[in-house]
Amino acid sequence: MSALLEVSGLVAGYGAVQVLQGLDLTVNEGEVAVILGANGAGKTTTMRAISGMINRSGTINFAGNDISHTPAHEIVALGIAQVPQGRGTFTDLSVEDNLRAGAYTRSGESAAGIDADMREWYDIFPRLHERRAQKAGSLSGGEQQMLAISRALMSKPRLLLCDEPSLGLAPIITQELFAILGRLNTERGLSILVVEQNANLAVQIAHSVFVLETGSIVASGTAEEIAGNDSVRKAYLGY
Amino acid sequence: MGHLLQYILNGLSKGSIYALIALGLVVIYRGTAHLNFAQGEMALFATFGAWWINDHGVPLWISIALAAIFAFVGGGVIEFGLIRPAGKKSPFAVIVVTIGLFQAMNSLSGLLFENAGTGLPFGSLFPNKPDDFWRISGSTVWRYQNIGVLVTVLVITGLLFALFQKTKIGLAMRMVANNPDSAKLSGVSVSRILMLSWALSAAIGAVGGGLVAGVNTNVNLATMFGVFLLASAAATLGGLDSPLGAIVGGLSLGVVESLVQNYPKDWPASDYIGADTAVAVAFLIILVVLLVKPAGLFGSSRVERV
Repeated sequence: MSALLEVSGLVAGYGAVQVLQGLDLTVNEGEVAVILGANGAGKTTTMRAISGMINRSGTINFAGNDISHTPAHEIVALGIAQVPQGRGTFTDLSVEDNLRAGAYTRSGESAAGIDADMREWYDIFPRLHERRAQKAGSLSGGEQQMLAISRALMSKPRLLLCDEPSLGLAPIITQELFAILGRLNTERGLSILVVEQNANLAVQIAHSVFVLETGSIVASGTAEEIAGNDSVRKAYLGY
Repeated sequence: MGHLLQYILNGLSKGSIYALIALGLVVIYRGTAHLNFAQGEMALFATFGAWWINDHGVPLWISIALAAIFAFVGGGVIEFGLIRPAGKKSPFAVIVVTIGLFQAMNSLSGLLFENAGTGLPFGSLFPNKPDDFWRISGSTVWRYQNIGVLVTVLVITGLLFALFQKTKIGLAMRMVANNPDSAKLSGVSVSRILMLSWALSAAIGAVGGGLVAGVNTNVNLATMFGVFLLASAAATLGGLDSPLGAIVGGLSLGVVESLVQNYPKDWPASDYIGADTAVAVAFLIILVVLLVKPAGLFGSSRVERV
C-alpha cells in the first residue's frame, strides 16, 4: 500500500494564532482516512493547509511532489479536490455551471469528455439533472452537498478532501451521503480524507482513523484499532 | 405629451453612456467589492490618448480602439501595481488609492495635453449634420448620433455578456464574483482574474469616454466628472454586482434626466425649474429605490438557503 498523501510536521494557523503544532498523517492510495476531533481541534485548518488555502509550513507530499509551497489553484490541477465546510456552492451560478466550474482545470480536454462526466453525475444524482438550469443557491442543503461532491470530482482528483460533509443535513441524508462516499472509494478507487463530527458513520467507511486534539494527532490506527481503543471510543464514538 | 417619445429617445442615448461606464464599475465591483472612484478619470485619460492618436492622422474609430487597448493594459498594470498591494493592507486603503488615482489621472491629463482645461476638439463618431436623422412621426426624430451611441453600447454589452456566459474565462469571472474561495479550490487564479477585471473595465471606460467626447465634439478635464457621477448612481440603482442592473440603471437614469430637463419647458412653471433639477430628481429616485431594495434593483443580497 503506497502513501498518496504524506503530511509531516505541519504547522499552520491564522495570523499570530498557531492552530496546528506539527501534525503528521498519511492517506494511502485507494483508502478512506477520517480525522476525528472536538470543535477547535484544528480539523478544518488541517484541510485548508493541505489544499493551500492558508499559509503553512512543514512537508506535504502528494504523489511524489512536495506541495507545501504550491498555491491553492495549482494544487487542484495536481489532483486534490476539496469540498469545503459549508459546501462552497457557487450560489448565483446554475447547477450546470457549478459542475463546469469543477472541471475548470481540465483545460486540455475536449468538451465532450467534460459533458460525458457531467451526464454521469446527473445519472448518480437525478435531482441535479432536474434542477440543472436553476441557481444552485435554491437547492436544499442535501442537494447542495451532492452538488459540492460532484463539482469537486469533476476535476478528476486522485484525492478528495471532505470537510464536515454532514453539517446541517438530516440524519437520513447524512447516511446516504456516506454510502455514496463509500461507493466512490470501493467502486472507483478514489482516495478520501474526511473530517467528520458524525464519527460513527465516518468510521464505518474508513480504513484509517486519526484523532486530532489541540493541533496534533494524539492517536491513529485502523478503524478497528480505534474502535477498540476504549478512551477514544468513549470520547468520539460515544459508546 | 407630444414630445414624450422624443425625450425618451434622447434620454436612452445619454443613458446608454451612463450604462457603459456603470458596467465598468460593476465588472470591478463583482470581483473585489471595490468601487473604483477613478473609473471616469481613467476613461478621460484614455480619451485624451484617443484624441492624440487621432491628431496624428489615424481615423477616429481606430484611435478609440487603440486607446481602449492601451487602457486595457493600463488597467491591468494599475491593479497589479497599486490596487493589489493596497488591498493586502485593508479595503479602505483601496478606496483611498482609487480617490488618489481620480486626482492623478485628471492632473496627468492636464499636464500631458496642452489646452486640456479649455478643451480639445473631438470629432463626431456618427453623422451629425442638422438633417442626419430618421423621422419617426411628425416632429419626432431619432438622430443618427443617438442611434449610433445606443447601438455601440448595446453591441459592447452583448459582447460582454457573451464573454461572461459563453467562455471559460467568463465562467472564472463569475466564479470569483460569487465565491472567491471556491473559485480558488476549483483551480482559478483569483489574482489573475482580478487583474483582468481591471483591464476590461478600463477598456470599457475608454470606449465610454470616446462616445462622450464624440457627442460633445470636445474633450476637456471636466468631461467625465458628471458622467461618472450619474454612472455610479446607475450602478448603485441597478445593484453594484449586476451587469444587467448597470444597463437598466443607466438607461432609466438617462430617460429620467431627459424628461425632467425638457418637460418643464412645456409648462408655465419653467421659470422655476432649471435643467439641473434633473440630477436631483435622479438621485431622489435612487434614494427611494434603495430604501425599498437596499441591494439595488438587480443586486444580490447574498441570501443563501441552508
